[in-house]
Amino acid sequence: MICSLCGYEYDETNMACHAACPMSNGCAILCCPNCGYQVVDESKSGLAKLLRRLWKIEPTKPQKPAEENTQ
Amino acid sequence: MNCHSPAVAIDPDSPIVLVGNPNVGKSAIFGALTGRYVEVSNFPGTTVEVSAGKVGGLPLIDTPGIYSLYPRSDDERVARNILLSRPPRAVVQVADARNLRRGLLLTLQLAELGHPFILDLNMTDEARARGIVIDTQRLSQIIGAEIVETVATRKEGIDALRARLDAPRPIGYRIHYDGAIESAVDSVTALLPADLPGARALALMILAGDDSILAQYGGGPDRIEAIRAIAAQTAARYDQPLNYVITQQRFKCVDCLLAQVIRVSPSNGKGWAESFGRLAVHPVWGWPILVVVLVGLYLFVGKFGAGVLVDWMESVLFDAWILPAAKSLAAFIPVPLIVDLLVGDYGLITMALSYGIAIVMPIVLTFFIAFGLLEDSGYLPRLAVMLDRPFKAMGLNGKAVLPMVLGLGCDTMATLTTRILDTRKERVMVTLLLALGVPCSAQLGVLLGMMSMLSPAAVAMWAGVVAVTMFAVGWLAARLLPGQRSDFILELPPIRMPLLGNILIKTAARLEWYLKEVLPLFLLGTFILFALDRTGMLAALERVAAPLITGGLGLPAQTTGAFIIGFLRRDYGAAGLFHMARDGLLNDTQLVISLVVVTLFVPCIANVMVMVKEHGWKTAAWTVAFIFPFAFGVGAALHVVFRALGIVF
Repeated sequence: MICSLCGYEYDETNMACHAACPMSNGCAILCCPNCGYQVVDESKSGLAKLLRRLWKIEPTKPQKPAEENTQ
Repeated sequence: MNCHSPAVAIDPDSPIVLVGNPNVGKSAIFGALTGRYVEVSNFPGTTVEVSAGKVGGLPLIDTPGIYSLYPRSDDERVARNILLSRPPRAVVQVADARNLRRGLLLTLQLAELGHPFILDLNMTDEARARGIVIDTQRLSQIIGAEIVETVATRKEGIDALRARLDAPRPIGYRIHYDGAIESAVDSVTALLPADLPGARALALMILAGDDSILAQYGGGPDRIEAIRAIAAQTAARYDQPLNYVITQQRFKCVDCLLAQVIRVSPSNGKGWAESFGRLAVHPVWGWPILVVVLVGLYLFVGKFGAGVLVDWMESVLFDAWILPAAKSLAAFIPVPLIVDLLVGDYGLITMALSYGIAIVMPIVLTFFIAFGLLEDSGYLPRLAVMLDRPFKAMGLNGKAVLPMVLGLGCDTMATLTTRILDTRKERVMVTLLLALGVPCSAQLGVLLGMMSMLSPAAVAMWAGVVAVTMFAVGWLAARLLPGQRSDFILELPPIRMPLLGNILIKTAARLEWYLKEVLPLFLLGTFILFALDRTGMLAALERVAAPLITGGLGLPAQTTGAFIIGFLRRDYGAAGLFHMARDGLLNDTQLVISLVVVTLFVPCIANVMVMVKEHGWKTAAWTVAFIFPFAFGVGAALHVVFRALGIVF
């Protein structure tokens, strides 16, 4: 998984934040370990799976970042 | 150029250490060098995993990705500590050939450590495809280091890299900072233990504000105090934090190097997307682009989502079909209380489902589509860069900017990210600011929807009051969080055309998650209102709250109900206000006041739970006890000002 905000590549099956979160049971949020940006885990969404099957959309990875910005 | 590195005795068992920025193919290089047999273990005292293997019989360690030797996360701290713990046999830096500027920034810091070094330029095939030509021979001559080109995914150049591991040498190139910094480095180095390997790098880390290095290498309290005094005197010479100044001087040096060794073919390297990407973060042109994006967002979410879609869902789907059908079916239920609970004024179907599905769902649906477009087009990180500037102008600590930006997605999760802040005081303050002034994505969507009902002057008033409040809390935070400002580093992905399929899948997943999370709360909130109404407590509450709601805020008594459910989730409260406004119960002036109040509410009950988890009951209770009176106080002040100046929208 590549974070849409900071571009960090991480393993979505190992969410360290879940261990510390009081609401982690069944949590469908993936949280970038680098910047904290959250996205909904599409693999846990029945609606997303249904749409994939209906339209035969393959999961695609976002492009890796290639530039940096330091403010 | 000259070499200041002291001779370093290498332990025969010393490992080769693989370092590099995140996402440069470091793990692929590690896998190609070591084969399949690796050990993965936590670095002592942390949960950060470090991989170890063998290459040619020598130990090889793969470190977490880092941007600099000034750590901003546990991962970076671990990588930095591995480099400092004992002199490695060699440091192999894997750099992305497509982004040499970022890679060389780290190279020059590694040079200051003085370890034997090899630079691996990875992804050279993709760099060439983009028209980027790097004169590696010239670069090798200038920095005085071995350089190898690789394409890790195809295992190209791996043998050459393996061969160079036998003969690494320290980088000969050193940055010469300006006089004040060089003098401070010399003074700090003189106070560090004699013959300390990498003393120049350590001195620069200390000057940049790395207290852990100072504590570890600074010696006794007197020396530490003397070093702190040098750092403070040096920092006082600059308007910007010393860490920032040092980084900027490094970048200047990197740019000078790049000018000599890199050539970008105009035909391949400069498309419209790249030009737009640069303009989007430009200090001047970035703002008009941001305004256009926000206006587009407003038209799509506010006008189309909250106007066209909500109209259809409410008047056609719910008013003409679902509610009459539900009322007909409920008529068969013999218990009037249950009928009322389902389809009465505060019924679970007539209110909770109607608000949740007919009002909030179309708005968040359009917002999630728009947000997905911002993410997949690559504009979102650029938006974060643009937002970083006003936050910095407020004087906010750089590290505090990230949770504030993330709060625009979800305040609850952003509250968890306040852990990146150094002190408890900072964490509590940023949690307060998040809860107080930063609307999450769903709330932003509903707020945009409500704005579509307001005149431009009323929207400007709402935006102005929220902006002033934000600036005030930011200013306050800057005074209460005086720590050093840190850089805000983001990797910017290329601007590209989003794929419709991906946007739809992403939106579907988000919508499902949102409905699963909010509908139970909407039902709970409605049930509470129903119970209050049936027991006569709602009327009593309206009477008790009348001096505040009708007198203080100048709003109808019915808004009490919207504020009560707003305690559970402020977007639900906003939906209640939205419904009242559509029914003509609120005029524009009242809508602005009620919108400001609900915008400043605590985001949701989940946010309070996370506050309790992160900071304890006492702090959470104080935060909530401050926020609600503050929100009503700002609304009341606004009402007084409007009345005194005769402002009517």
